[in-house]
Amino acid sequence: MSLSISLAINGRQHDVALNDPRVTLLDLLRERLDLPGTKKGCDRGQCGACTVLVDGRRINSCLALAASMDGAEITTIEGLAEGDELHPVQAAFIEHDAFQCGYCTPGQIMSAVGLIKEGMAGDDPERVRELMSGNICRCGAYQGITEAVLEAGRKAAENAQPQTGNPDTGKDAA
Amino acid sequence: MAIAEVEKQGVGVSMLRKEDDRLLRGRGQFVGDVRLAGMKDVAFVRSPIAHARVKGVHPPEDLRSQVVTAADLEGVKPIRAVSGLAGFKPSDQPVLAFEKVRQVGELLAMCVADTRAAAEDIAARVELDLEELPAVHDMIAARDKDAPLLHEDWGDNVFLETFVDVNIEAAFDAPIKITREIKTARQSMAPMEGRGTVAYWDKRMEQLVLISGSQMPHIVRTGLAECLGLGQHQVRIVSPDVGGGFGYKGILLPEDICLGWYAMRCGHPVRWIEDRREHLTAGANCREHHYVITAYADRDGKLRGIDCEATVDSGAYSSYPFSACLEAAQVASILPGPYDFPSYRCRTWSVATNKCPILPYRGVARTGVCYALELVLDAVAREAGLEPHEVRLKNLVQPDQMPFDNITRKHFDSGDYPEALQRAIEAIDVKAIRERQKRGEENGRLIGVGHSIYCEQGAHGTSVYSGWGIPMVPGHEQATARMTPDGGLELRVGVHSHGQSMETTLPQIAHEILGIDISKIKLVHGDTEYTPYSTGSWGSRCAVMAGGAVAAASRDVASRARKIGAHLLQVHVDDVELVGGRVKGPSGSVSLEEIAHTWYRLPQNLPDDVDPRGLEGTVGHKPKRDTGTFSYAAHAAVVAVDPENGDIEILDYVIVEDGGKLINPMVVDGQIYGGLAQGIGTALYEEMNFDSSGQPLASTFADYLLPGPTEVPAPRLDHMETVSPYTEFGVKGIGEGGAIAPPAAIGNAVNDALKDLGAELVRTPMTPRRVLEAIFAATNADSQDHSDRGGRT
Repeated sequence: MSLSISLAINGRQHDVALNDPRVTLLDLLRERLDLPGTKKGCDRGQCGACTVLVDGRRINSCLALAASMDGAEITTIEGLAEGDELHPVQAAFIEHDAFQCGYCTPGQIMSAVGLIKEGMAGDDPERVRELMSGNICRCGAYQGITEAVLEAGRKAAENAQPQTGNPDTGKDAA
Repeated sequence: MAIAEVEKQGVGVSMLRKEDDRLLRGRGQFVGDVRLAGMKDVAFVRSPIAHARVKGVHPPEDLRSQVVTAADLEGVKPIRAVSGLAGFKPSDQPVLAFEKVRQVGELLAMCVADTRAAAEDIAARVELDLEELPAVHDMIAARDKDAPLLHEDWGDNVFLETFVDVNIEAAFDAPIKITREIKTARQSMAPMEGRGTVAYWDKRMEQLVLISGSQMPHIVRTGLAECLGLGQHQVRIVSPDVGGGFGYKGILLPEDICLGWYAMRCGHPVRWIEDRREHLTAGANCREHHYVITAYADRDGKLRGIDCEATVDSGAYSSYPFSACLEAAQVASILPGPYDFPSYRCRTWSVATNKCPILPYRGVARTGVCYALELVLDAVAREAGLEPHEVRLKNLVQPDQMPFDNITRKHFDSGDYPEALQRAIEAIDVKAIRERQKRGEENGRLIGVGHSIYCEQGAHGTSVYSGWGIPMVPGHEQATARMTPDGGLELRVGVHSHGQSMETTLPQIAHEILGIDISKIKLVHGDTEYTPYSTGSWGSRCAVMAGGAVAAASRDVASRARKIGAHLLQVHVDDVELVGGRVKGPSGSVSLEEIAHTWYRLPQNLPDDVDPRGLEGTVGHKPKRDTGTFSYAAHAAVVAVDPENGDIEILDYVIVEDGGKLINPMVVDGQIYGGLAQGIGTALYEEMNFDSSGQPLASTFADYLLPGPTEVPAPRLDHMETVSPYTEFGVKGIGEGGAIAPPAAIGNAVNDALKDLGAELVRTPMTPRRVLEAIFAATNADSQDHSDRGGRT
């Protein structure tokens, strides 16, 4: 029996027939939809390498069943840059040497984008560390990651237009 | 303007990294990202038992063609990594187990299907008939006469015993004698990307291709070809982007051989991606040491001698290529650390147990050795009533002794160890901490300050490794430099980056010599087909060895470009110089682009006697002395210990390091930060425990705790620069160093905090439970036991 779902990934609509209901969102992205930028580090929600945005909120895609994503809007690392122009978080990661091997980096960046959107960290490095603590970096680039997230957060705050009614603001991380 | 750019891109410049862009966009290609038409997935059947006789492995009849067992692997040789050290007992690590299994997770069968999930479903149906044997889980008990034997023909469980004695008896009358029993936990390297292999048979090239994240692709090729009985030209190893390695990805795995064997026969690509459970429980183990160490010293803190019995839990098999005795043999040779003292004795055992083979991890034995020696030195200081740094300053090798041959004949190339320590002591402000300790904390926490210092041999070569006689001895490191017709440059090296930023740093070296803009210099690495043979990336060797080779190859090309340039300028070669990417004569200049264009596309304009090797050269490099560079660092930590709940918080951390000339200081800082993070993991969190039946108890990151952003403080770094007299530009290997000193510095800080309670921690990780146990033991021992062994956990 196959289950059909329809979801938007990086702005593009996908209709997918799931021949196995056990498939995770992570495996769907990587193995079916040719989007391997999202990484598998532990497959148990313990490392954060698979972080993506679902309807603007960051989640561990290894813990989400693809079948539960019908109608969702998903952003992965592949959908972040505008052509050649890097997303400000990506640019800040280069500037602050926020990674070495680059394997956890897609998850770190998606988590940082989600965090900045949540607006919970402000300009406090300890809050940034706490709210990024679901993302492990074995190369130990936490210093650079924290600086990069702070800088991207500051820039986002400077550029922010007065907004009302953003349903995501103030929500905690998944 | 060209010269200004030279200054901005060459050796010593903190350039942003060239490899960043693709990794940031999710366009890096790691082995799990490789997609090949017709590729099938592999799941392995692994032993659920640590020690057993294999009576039978029974695949389901209807799926027999999708299952491989040992009986199928005709002609495949086991992995055998022998050491040439006298008395070493070799082990045969089967590719798929048949007579016995000797560790949980050992391979028994390989299952192939369209997806991993389907392959796992098959694996679940393979029936195992295993007769359980008593397991050896404790390396000390493993040496008992009646211990069960892993390799019955050995007669015991000892891969290798070594012994060195340099006049230890002369130290016995020292007034201070401090003995400690010290343990370091078994750990896992745990790169965020595990192992993985994609294998296929290339029909046109008649070649087995293995795409596998490997730090050492050429060594894997050699080992794999030998096990499969192939010529080495019939094997190609491609190592794509590698998501961290830290030692684990240098090893030839039975999984690699299985996939290779199958790919030669099945007609389609096969893939195995290690999952985290496999990684933690079956593959990536390291660093379990046990020391009984005695320091002999005079009352003024001067060391008279060190006496040590060290045991290393080597696991079930000797792994390829570093062997089962890498750690223990290293312990014996590096235990004296950066100190000068007259007497030394060390006995080591590399012991076989029913656990995963022990593999090298960043710092290898140095982290454990530094922890053992530096803890004992602090205990000497407490006994002598001195500040720990006073004891160290009395014993460190002095700068005017450099180069210095130490008691185990290690040749320290250069450095000022006392200066590094003094800078760290000043930066951490020991005096202020002592005042703070007197005042006490309102919240009842105990403050401690501690430090440690080490020197790290890196890039050691032929003369060192030939003595160990393992399957891999590094010789000359080669690099190819090749100009392209448009004046760009390709560099080909046999080492491989797993996060070290080589795509940036090695081009910086070529740029330093040739002046070609770094955006036009491409590093080709990670493919045995395109790169010169190399032992690969290990031992903090790439900057020294591959960097030196790149410099040599770049100079080779530069000399030929100069000759062509001189001809084009119609002047003598002695009258030109290569500056900023241009060959300049007395009254004109010609660019490397024009020179390359001439060689490749206008050969009619070349001189008759032009060097026919053109603008391409492969050159081998060895430092002037191949005994290794000795980078070093002093680490200092301030901690707060909560005696109520055992919590340890790092309040401040200082690192003073000397890596000689730094090619890219930003990259080095990153390596040091990262090493510190791993060192904090070793000190406080990471532990791979086994129960008495040899079952691994940490199988997820909920059991095996990695430090996250809230556990790793922002350290303060201070750089010194003592150039190596033996290497290109004076660089020293420094990649591993950050991970060596933290357990010792933090451990000494914790013990400083606990000293008024008479408690002392002598094992890693220093968990809250162990802190409380140490305090409890000291409190209880207080009334009855005043010996120097009381109150330690």
